[in-house]
Amino acid sequence: MNLFSLLKPLRAGLLLSCLAGFASPAFAAEAPTADELIRLAMNHWRGVSSYSDMTMTVHRSDWERVFSMQAWTQGEKNSLVRVTEPRKDAGNSTLILDKNMWSYSPKVNRIIKIPSSMMSKSWMGSDFSNKDISKSTDIIDQYDHTLVNTEEKEGHSYYTIQSIPHEEAAVVWGKEVVTVRDDYVMIRQEFWDQDGVLVKEMNAFEVQAMGGRTVAKRMRMHKTETPDEWTEMSVNAIDFDVDLPDSIFTLSNLRNPRK
Amino acid sequence: MNTGVFNIPFKAMLTLSWRNLWRNYRRTLIMLAAISMAVWAMIFMTAIMRGMVDDMLHQGVANLPGHIQIHHPGFRDDPSVVNSIDAPGGELLAALNDSQTKSWTSRIKVPAVISSERDTRGISLLGVEPESENRITGIAEQVVEGRFLEGDDDRGVVIGLKLAERLETRLGKRVVIMSQDPDNNIADRGFRIVGLYKARLEALEEVNVYAARGTLQKLLKIGDQVSEIAIIDKDFRDIESLYAKIKAATPDNLEIRAWYELDSYLSSMLNVMDGFVLIWIIIIFLALSFGLVNTLMMAVFERRREIGLIQALGMRPGMIVYQILLESLLLLLIGLSIGNALALATVLPLESGLDISSVAEGLAMIGAGSVLYPNLRLDDMILANVVVIMLGTLTSILPAWHAARLDPVQAINST
Repeated sequence: MNLFSLLKPLRAGLLLSCLAGFASPAFAAEAPTADELIRLAMNHWRGVSSYSDMTMTVHRSDWERVFSMQAWTQGEKNSLVRVTEPRKDAGNSTLILDKNMWSYSPKVNRIIKIPSSMMSKSWMGSDFSNKDISKSTDIIDQYDHTLVNTEEKEGHSYYTIQSIPHEEAAVVWGKEVVTVRDDYVMIRQEFWDQDGVLVKEMNAFEVQAMGGRTVAKRMRMHKTETPDEWTEMSVNAIDFDVDLPDSIFTLSNLRNPRK
Repeated sequence: MNTGVFNIPFKAMLTLSWRNLWRNYRRTLIMLAAISMAVWAMIFMTAIMRGMVDDMLHQGVANLPGHIQIHHPGFRDDPSVVNSIDAPGGELLAALNDSQTKSWTSRIKVPAVISSERDTRGISLLGVEPESENRITGIAEQVVEGRFLEGDDDRGVVIGLKLAERLETRLGKRVVIMSQDPDNNIADRGFRIVGLYKARLEALEEVNVYAARGTLQKLLKIGDQVSEIAIIDKDFRDIESLYAKIKAATPDNLEIRAWYELDSYLSSMLNVMDGFVLIWIIIIFLALSFGLVNTLMMAVFERRREIGLIQALGMRPGMIVYQILLESLLLLLIGLSIGNALALATVLPLESGLDISSVAEGLAMIGAGSVLYPNLRLDDMILANVVVIMLGTLTSILPAWHAARLDPVQAINST
């Protein structure tokens, strides 16, 4: 689950998918409005804590790297990710508190606060940028959401929401198009530039029950221009509503993990 | 001088010298060509170099910007938002608004990152008050597409053409600008590109991004603080009185610097240039002087018999020196007039600008633009002429002295 909060850029859709398993009353009656979908998702997601074990695969045309990592999330603001495999990278950690982000590498034994100039750089060599990872969920307020399509397929309703950022939102995209299933699992998220060209997209696969909720087991992000380069996040195990002490999301825990 | 019958009047000497010059007109014409070319080269090249250096200075001073700047003492070492200063007030504001100041502006200058959908680049984000900024840097005239900012709370940005190309974005599209507030929190916001500018130096186009001052103050959460105050005087070469006055009005916790302190490269360029012009003129003259000495020497050798004869008739050596010097002086004067006329004829039509964009890249590296405006200065012209006349006459002393020391008997009998 933390995966989702980690990939906050994936904002609306991801948040919605965080809701997996909840049935909203608004939903039951008739097709909800796009804003309601987003709001409900926000409200439900708040306060949810999780611990998960996942795998990130960074694929390029001539090589591939696989990382195993643990992640903790609490609420919408706090997340901590720690790499466990491969050994070369084990211990590398990222802490996110609200909009701020720190990284720690045991090799240099230093905590580095990610400066704004680094926010657009890739996160651990993946197709996600630091900004993608750390962006707080208040970005949701900075979009205008419209429900553009509802589709019935395999016993589920699929809602397609078009989200256009506000004039002064710190978002470069012209629009994002999110497809959400009626059980709040995000199926697809598209990032379009301001000329109406699809730049990158994220797709969810293997939607299944994990840790008591319905979530997508795998999510793959790739740029449209380079279809053979992608990053996939795969959830191996996840627990929701775990009791996490506040001390987890601290700089000292980032440096000296205590379990 | 001599007295008696051989005290030839100046007029006669002049006629004599003039006729001597044209007895071998071919030699004289070649010499004239050499002198005129040399003088032309001295004046023309000096004007071009002056133009180039002036251009560098003007641009350098415009880019600093301003002739005098006021900063937080730590700003120049660490140009971060933490090192901001309060907007000018009280005594300083009064000094700034005084009629002696030509113009002034206060601006925010922070490092930032700009992103489009395709790319992200580091920039220098400038928060400016459009009107006063334009009076100092002339940026509004450089806008080639769209418009410049309007007012202190304009919500758009103006970026360089080159940066737009790098970001694969264009006029009317949105970009995200990210920086840090004084508490190290990320401050970011979307801006629509309202204008594109073309700077004379491409390097600046990629770096400087203009936004409205008020908008940035809100974004960076710095109240009404600014990063720097830039002031211009009427002439950047003469700012001392204004500098002293503003310095007296500046609070002690701020750092005030004149342009020559801010950019010592520029100020040393200015000093080096004056010395360089003199050296340049002397080098050209050295090459020329060999030709001059040779020509006059040959003339003396050719006229040995004649010189011997007039010596035998009673002309004193002093008069011979006098005559030969007069000849070379005439030669120099004619050469100088032709050379000066030639230089004026070539420089004046070019003063509106000489397009040398084929070598623009190299020039940009030293901070000069791709259009050269030759700058013909009277003092450079006078310097060239004085150097040629003085040193030319000095060089002529050798052949003259040689002629005066001829033994009349030997000279008459030589073939």
